[in-house]
Amino acid sequence: MTREQWGAIVSNMISRGAKGSDEEFAEVVDYLAKNLPPTNKVGAPVANAKTQRRPSLLDQAGANDKQIVDEDAAARGRTIYIAQCITCHGTRARGSERGADLVRSVLVLHDRYGSAIGPFLAKGHPEGKSVTLTQNQIVDLSHFLHQQVGDTLRTGPYNHVLNILVGDPKEGKAFFNGPGKCSQCHSTSGDLAHIASKYDPAVLQLKVVFPQTAAFGRRSATNSRKPVTVTVSTASGESVTGVLDRIDDFNVSLQDESGQYHSFERGPGVKVEKHDPYATHVELLDEYTDKDIHDVVAYLETFK
Amino acid sequence: MKFISALLMAALPLIPAPAAEPVSASAGGGGLDPSVLLHPPVDSWPTYNGDYSGRRFSSLTKINDHNVQSLSLAWMYQLSGGGDPSGGRISATPLVVNGVMYFTVPDRVWAIDARTGHELWTYTWTSKGGIHLGNRGAGISGNSLYFETPDCNLVSLNLNSGKKQWNQAICDLDQMYYASAAPVVIKNHIITGVSGDDLDRPGYLEARDPATGELQWHWSVVPKPGEPGSETWPNADAMAHGGGMTWLSCTYDPDLNTLFIGTGNPQPVVAGKARPGANLFTESIVALNADTGKMVWYFQPSPHDTHDWDAIQTPVLFDGDIDGKHRKLLAQASRNGWFFVLDRETGKDYVTSQFVKTNWAKGVDAKGEPIPNPAKEPQIAGALVSPNQGGAANWPPPSFSPATGLFYINATRAFSIYYIFDDSDKPEGWGGNDQGGWAESMLQALDYRTGKVRWSHKWETPGIRGGLLSTAGNLVFAGDPSSNLVALNATTGEPLWHANLGSSVTNGAITYELDDRQYLVVGAGDKMFAFVMNQ
Repeated sequence: MTREQWGAIVSNMISRGAKGSDEEFAEVVDYLAKNLPPTNKVGAPVANAKTQRRPSLLDQAGANDKQIVDEDAAARGRTIYIAQCITCHGTRARGSERGADLVRSVLVLHDRYGSAIGPFLAKGHPEGKSVTLTQNQIVDLSHFLHQQVGDTLRTGPYNHVLNILVGDPKEGKAFFNGPGKCSQCHSTSGDLAHIASKYDPAVLQLKVVFPQTAAFGRRSATNSRKPVTVTVSTASGESVTGVLDRIDDFNVSLQDESGQYHSFERGPGVKVEKHDPYATHVELLDEYTDKDIHDVVAYLETFK
Repeated sequence: MKFISALLMAALPLIPAPAAEPVSASAGGGGLDPSVLLHPPVDSWPTYNGDYSGRRFSSLTKINDHNVQSLSLAWMYQLSGGGDPSGGRISATPLVVNGVMYFTVPDRVWAIDARTGHELWTYTWTSKGGIHLGNRGAGISGNSLYFETPDCNLVSLNLNSGKKQWNQAICDLDQMYYASAAPVVIKNHIITGVSGDDLDRPGYLEARDPATGELQWHWSVVPKPGEPGSETWPNADAMAHGGGMTWLSCTYDPDLNTLFIGTGNPQPVVAGKARPGANLFTESIVALNADTGKMVWYFQPSPHDTHDWDAIQTPVLFDGDIDGKHRKLLAQASRNGWFFVLDRETGKDYVTSQFVKTNWAKGVDAKGEPIPNPAKEPQIAGALVSPNQGGAANWPPPSFSPATGLFYINATRAFSIYYIFDDSDKPEGWGGNDQGGWAESMLQALDYRTGKVRWSHKWETPGIRGGLLSTAGNLVFAGDPSSNLVALNATTGEPLWHANLGSSVTNGAITYELDDRQYLVVGAGDKMFAFVMNQ
């Protein structure tokens, strides 16, 4: 896991009663992050997910002048948070019976680099045991809280599939060879040999259910897609078969085996037959239970 | 034309009380008197839906099922000055008043000649942020035009010059709201909605003063503790952060002085663990007094939604016969795949049916609302759900033709796998999402009396869905997933004409008549196309 994620776990331990100084906890986090770094397996947290992700329209959420989180400052702010805030506001700053949710806090959302948090704390918070922080500490704490807000958004680093391997491999095998009819086209010693070493469970599950669409994160998955083919027969007796290029109610075009492009206007004398190599998978969408899906994925995961 | 006349005669019971139909919106000498909106003249398209009913039906017949094959291009306008950050997609329905067309993309407004496409003025708002996903259009009252900006402002422009008159904040950008709906003018009210699904904020609908933008009333989608609906939430905190955005324009019945609005999904969006209950009044069709914002009734298409299936699709108003009685009706083809026909005076449900096959409901309760199957809520290991997050319908507008008695919806049947990403006791934001997918798309014509599909035209490929327009010329105009604008026979679904626009239809087509010529206008990507009969 990343240093940040180990920090969250250590924060949780502190909230459950672990004893130590801030420096000692920081040392523990450093040790764990160094010796147990992130892995690349899907299902585990991904290092630098925020910086590697392609920006999207959703990143526009909020104001243009929203705070840009300094990760180093946020890490320092986390230490302050653990020492001063975590008991009431919780490990993820989402509040508890003792303290407000700081991720959804309008004061935090209006804050820029401590501009709102600083004056609020200066008034004396919490009651009876006011927090006294330097200006730099307030800025660091602000970075940490804005980091928590960003991590909560759907573009945040924690939006990934968790453990999906809940199925029964034996029942998955029975489905594969029985009602699923998978074995009529596929073989675990043929096209699916070592399938579990090619795909992580979450990707494999998508490949099983939606093989006709590109599974995310794997270019090879896109390249292995089988094309829809089409046969067009005209009134004059011409018949051409090839890979479907484009079709609507009015026109159809294709590329034949030699690479020649053909385009037809559709009409009463033109017959069009589509051949979807994934038709059986489409039929299964109405037949699968979720348990069937989880079982067959668990079965395929045994073929490393 | 005999056929059309016969259709209209047969449809007479479905047409609201006839009014003296003005021939021109320009009779007042510029601007738009809000009273004209009660009976829009045929030379105009003065509101998001063309009129208050949301039917997107035109009585014009010059373009009809017998001659539509001769429809051809009159003009094309490409957005000037480059597109907006969303790629310059026109998802606004244009307004036409006094021979001028007005439309928007996020932060920008255009006025062009409705006869020629000649640009008259443009206005650009300097943005302070917000999601620039799309803007649905403007509202007009008197000599003022109103539109919402992604950075949470309602802006008023002078209709003739395009100069800014004032702006008012209608939401808080820091709380990650944004604004995208087309404002609706009702008497001396500007009705504004809000958008944003990111950080668990409450949705609301407001009325504002046309002269100043000052708040007149505010209706909160989620209740406060002790208020009706609060019993469907676990606690005050969940309620206060419960979502329910008002993404689209309302419809309005002047006789009842009631407006009708669909509300968005509850929040957190996908991980609903910390908000057990129906989560009223999210995912609801709600009737409000137009002058006070007080709720008259509600109906909830998706109780306790966990799939992002906003029930915001246009609540379409028409009169029709149910159980042998003539009634004031409201119909919605909802994102969750279900079609509802309600009594718009009471909210009583007459018809509940699926307009595409779905797999998430266990049945229908006594009120006519689907009962969600908990097993089809998002799961850690994944649940195969239909429809997918995009829904069986989305924001593109449907249409209802009183001539055929059919409700038209560009629909999608889709599957995806919904996952829980945040399995903590207090998920926030989304806490999950759907992945993967398969889909097929079709234009469905629904009999409002039964909810049954009268005809279905399946598109050859799935994909982007445009909005719809139906006309007394026995036509339905639709965008298909292959960038075609298609005219179909409204009675049979037979495709009669098409034009490939090079980009998918991205709004709902409109029609108006100027100089005895009927125009058909549609947006596709960054271009506006106008078609006329070339006979």
